[in-house]
Amino acid sequence: MNRWLNRSVTLVLTALIGWGLWSVLHWLLLAADWRVVVSNLPLYVVGSYPVDQRWRPLLWMVALVVLIGFTLLGPRRGPLQRWLPLIWLAMAPLGLWLVAGGLVLEPVSTRDWGGFTLTLLLTFGSGLLALPIGVLLALGRRSRLPVLRLSSTAYIELMRAVPLIAVLFFGQLLIPLFLPPGLEINRVLRAVLAFAFFAAAYIAEDVRGGLQAIPPMQREAAAVLGLSEWQSLQLVVLPQALRIALPSLTNQAVGLLQNTSLMAILGLVELLGISRSLLANPVFIGRFLEVYLWLAAVYWLACTAMALLARHLELRLDPLRSDR
Amino acid sequence: MTVAIRATDLVKSYTPGSRALDGVSLEVASGEVLVVMGPSGSGKSTLIRTFNGLEKLDGGELDVLGVRLDAAHEERPVREIRRRVGMVFQQFNLFPHLSILDNITLAPVKVQKRPKAQAEQRAIELLDQMGIREQAHKFPAQLSGGQQQRVAIARALALDPEVMLFDEPTSALDPERVKEVLDAMRQLARDGMTMVVVTHELGFAREVADRVMFMDQGQVVETSDPASFFTNAREERSRRFLSQMV
Amino acid sequence: MRRRSLLLQVGVAALLLALLALLVNNLAVNLLRTGLGLDFGWLGRPSGFALAESALPYSPSDSYLWALTIGWLNSLKVIAAGLVLATLLGVAAGAARSSSNRLLRSLAGGYVAVIRQVPLLLQLLFWYFVAFLGLPETPIGGLIQLSNQGISMLGMPLSVEFCAVLTGLTVFTGASIAEIVRGGVNAVPRGQWEAFRSLGLSEGLGLRRIVLPQALPAILPALTSQYLNLAKNSTLAIAVGYADLYAVSDTTITQTGRAIEGFLLLLISFLLLNLLISGGMAGINATVLGRMRRSR
Ligand SMILES: Nc1ncnc2c1ncn2[C@@H]1O[C@H](COP(=O)(O)OP(=O)(O)OP(=O)(O)O)[C@@H](O)[C@H]1O
Ligand SMILES: [Mg+2]
Repeated sequence: MNRWLNRSVTLVLTALIGWGLWSVLHWLLLAADWRVVVSNLPLYVVGSYPVDQRWRPLLWMVALVVLIGFTLLGPRRGPLQRWLPLIWLAMAPLGLWLVAGGLVLEPVSTRDWGGFTLTLLLTFGSGLLALPIGVLLALGRRSRLPVLRLSSTAYIELMRAVPLIAVLFFGQLLIPLFLPPGLEINRVLRAVLAFAFFAAAYIAEDVRGGLQAIPPMQREAAAVLGLSEWQSLQLVVLPQALRIALPSLTNQAVGLLQNTSLMAILGLVELLGISRSLLANPVFIGRFLEVYLWLAAVYWLACTAMALLARHLELRLDPLRSDR
Repeated sequence: MTVAIRATDLVKSYTPGSRALDGVSLEVASGEVLVVMGPSGSGKSTLIRTFNGLEKLDGGELDVLGVRLDAAHEERPVREIRRRVGMVFQQFNLFPHLSILDNITLAPVKVQKRPKAQAEQRAIELLDQMGIREQAHKFPAQLSGGQQQRVAIARALALDPEVMLFDEPTSALDPERVKEVLDAMRQLARDGMTMVVVTHELGFAREVADRVMFMDQGQVVETSDPASFFTNAREERSRRFLSQMV
Repeated sequence: MRRRSLLLQVGVAALLLALLALLVNNLAVNLLRTGLGLDFGWLGRPSGFALAESALPYSPSDSYLWALTIGWLNSLKVIAAGLVLATLLGVAAGAARSSSNRLLRSLAGGYVAVIRQVPLLLQLLFWYFVAFLGLPETPIGGLIQLSNQGISMLGMPLSVEFCAVLTGLTVFTGASIAEIVRGGVNAVPRGQWEAFRSLGLSEGLGLRRIVLPQALPAILPALTSQYLNLAKNSTLAIAVGYADLYAVSDTTITQTGRAIEGFLLLLISFLLLNLLISGGMAGINATVLGRMRRSR
């Protein structure tokens, strides 16, 4: 770039940034009122969960934070490291149990679930459900059997053609219609199912990309060693394919977390939904900017943490970079 | 003398109208080393890939270690053959996500259901025999081509095969790496392994082969002992091929 | 072998059919129970609801079908404008990220890092409630008129809802496009840059004639999928009350209770939209690549 142009760009940008900073400072010092955030913190975290039971979702979240810290900063070897993936998988049922109750815990109706707790439960629950469905769909789409191939392809392409909000909306309306009369499932579970069925179609395409990247010679080498087709898939092909698909699967996971906010439109009081009901309260009328900035910060942190974790996992799984 | 592999009139055709194998018959005695040579596209790979069912036959009949394969065979005999016949590819084909040790113990543990500790001990022995014991805990991408190919041989040997098939095992290697792989194969032959080797290494063929088979256009041109093949081949086509090699 | 695969095939088909039959049976039972059959007759009846904005004349006495058509046109309008603006913003930001000006580079980097990690819905709400509804009355040079009632540009009025959705979609999709552009340009080997510089070509000419032609084949497919995402994301317009296809469908279904028919119509509309976008992109792809090959 020409030196004069370069200098004038810098100058204009500096002026713009300065003006922006000044307005932000002005707003922060003179106009902003953070009571809408500060006095409602418990609502953002757990929604209208019974006060005497709040320790349960809080305990779960603390466990999550500790686990994140341990994964990122903990020792690279040791007995705990081996079990880390399993511990991560166990976090979803653990969270469900802590929040829903049952066994020794007092049951809490899904109507009282809310806030960031609900956001996390929706993300974990649907992600965990969507992954196996997505893998099966990807395998189905590459199957030699035309019936399986065509039905998987049709499912994937149709699901990817419609917007998520439609899938969620019709999930709420239609899932009950497809169930036997008398069997009812609650709104949160319906949301998780709809999310999972939607995300599975996208996951399937990522996994299929991974499967396509495995050279056919790998299957041959497995066959020559006497491995059955199933063993070759399970021990040789899938582990490599999932590793290749990991970066795009991470994007899917981050997308899933962001998309749980759509449930606010359908009346669930997850993080965004609870904020909408707060903003409808006359006491906090017009405090949009404070709330939105606060939410943006929370979502940004959660998504960034997720991306960091995935990046960490990627490095650990790369045979060349792990220090085994 | 017992016969390890007997092939009768093998026919294989990938595209209608052209035959990759066009009536190939041969016998490999147990303990014998057969070297297969021939120009590119002559059907060498196709031939040895039929021996363990990687390619299905379109005609003819195979008897591998007493198990029959033909154009209409079932899945079952193929898996039995694969358990008893080892194969080494030109491109090594190690599993990149598994350590060297896991590459070698995978099949013994999962297919032969051997105890893990025992399989690992055997794997270390084999690596020792291949002269790469220190590499056991590395990953394939951290090894040189010659080392990878020796791991591939160890991986095949871990199943205690009765026959070993090699498809141009040294063609993807730097010249200075070829020797270490050939040495390992030479040792294997000395220990009495039945081997079918596709290779262009004349020195190896001359020294190790019991017989040399020359193929062209899906057919066997001639089969001779190495001494007469290299000094005084019977067929004009073999002589032309050999003259281009040196 | 062949027989086994046939058997497996029949088994899988039977399983799928059984599952489908079970679902359809449940559906039939439930529809009977609630007294609703599959029927599209209601499409001709008057909708009875007003739409805040319509490209063609519309009144509540018009049919549901017409209301849905208006919604479709509204969707098309915001999607088309969004595609153009997001592409411009994305290419500019993508180029800025590999600019030699450090300030510009980090500004573009910050834009991408923040926007992509915050839900689009939240951004839409921000644009609507904070940015556009908070606008003071400002005439800019008489041609553009800003206010919280909307924006009027050269006498053409644009509603606040439309502006909020358009801005949200543009800013959000622009960040993804910036990444795609950067990725595509970075994938061109550095040697190519050095080669054209050593030939004395200017940066602009080199970018246009050497680097872009090599980067485009990788960029265009990813761009298509971003365009499809933008179209699907435009349905979030319902959150700020813009009368797009999805919002009209939603109201229609709530009024008539025709969920299944409504879903089928929406599905067909979106398949059409996707076809339109991917077809257009395939055309662009062919002409762009064709022209480049010829001009080289
Ligand atoms: N999978 C395949 N599909 C179609 N044709 C094939 C396939 N594999 C081999 N052929 C053809 O069969 C013939 C024999 O091939 P083959 O690979 O057996 O030759 P080769 O002797 O091993 O050659 P090279 O020395 O190059 O490895 C060739 O004409 C080849 O083009
Ligand atoms: Mg070959």
